[in-house]
Amino acid sequence: MFCPQCGTSNADDAAVCVRCGRALQPVAGVVVQPGFQPGVVVPNYLVFAILVTVLCCLPAGIPAIVYSAQVNGKLQAGDIAGAQQASKNAKMWCLISVGAGLLFAVAYIMLIVVGVLSRH
Amino acid sequence: MPVRNKPLVFWCAAALGAASLLVLGNFDPAGSGIFPPCPLHALTGWYCPGCGSLRALHQLLHGNLRTAFAFNPFAVLSLPFLIYGAASHASLQIRGRALPRKFIPARWIWALCAAIVLFGVARNLPVYPLNLLAPGGMLRP
Repeated sequence: MFCPQCGTSNADDAAVCVRCGRALQPVAGVVVQPGFQPGVVVPNYLVFAILVTVLCCLPAGIPAIVYSAQVNGKLQAGDIAGAQQASKNAKMWCLISVGAGLLFAVAYIMLIVVGVLSRH
Repeated sequence: MPVRNKPLVFWCAAALGAASLLVLGNFDPAGSGIFPPCPLHALTGWYCPGCGSLRALHQLLHGNLRTAFAFNPFAVLSLPFLIYGAASHASLQIRGRALPRKFIPARWIWALCAAIVLFGVARNLPVYPLNLLAPGGMLRP
């Protein structure tokens, strides 16, 4: 079938578009959650997760990547609701990582400023 | 990747990113004390998988690919992927369309996750050749 969003050709039994991640029409065996809207894209935040792992707070970057893997795993299994939950968690851990990294940076800069001021 | 348009967040992040690159290009994190150290390394003395990434970026901005690779091979290798992701975001904001994306099978991401953790452990071991992975390890004679 062709993806209605980006036009990419997908396997007929694909749960999501291989190109843009759009959920395709309900497939046999997939339980469609009440409130599920076709056309919803489930971001996995993998780029963000790798970025924070390399640049920010490591202990929070790893769960972000783990949830990112879960998003794609659940999309592959056709579990859209599960993928959306994992996507939320991935985003949350990315933001925690950025927050912790910024907090540390601000604390470091303040320490330097205090150190410089106390010398005068 | 979020598909909703969030122009303000995007432009703030883009401006912050550009400013950071400017500072990073002009000051070497290896010498100047203006960049915060890695929290994990500051607290425990252990290298994390991200240690050396700022020094690597500084070297890359000066065109020294080998030195950059020596500071953090993982950061250098993941950079094309990160740049493509950032370019896709920019394209979404400017043209309203993201760049073409390939669905990454979950087991690749699990493998990547395992590789990051193993890399983080390996670069702390004082055993040749694993100690080459420590920040700057490949630069030692």
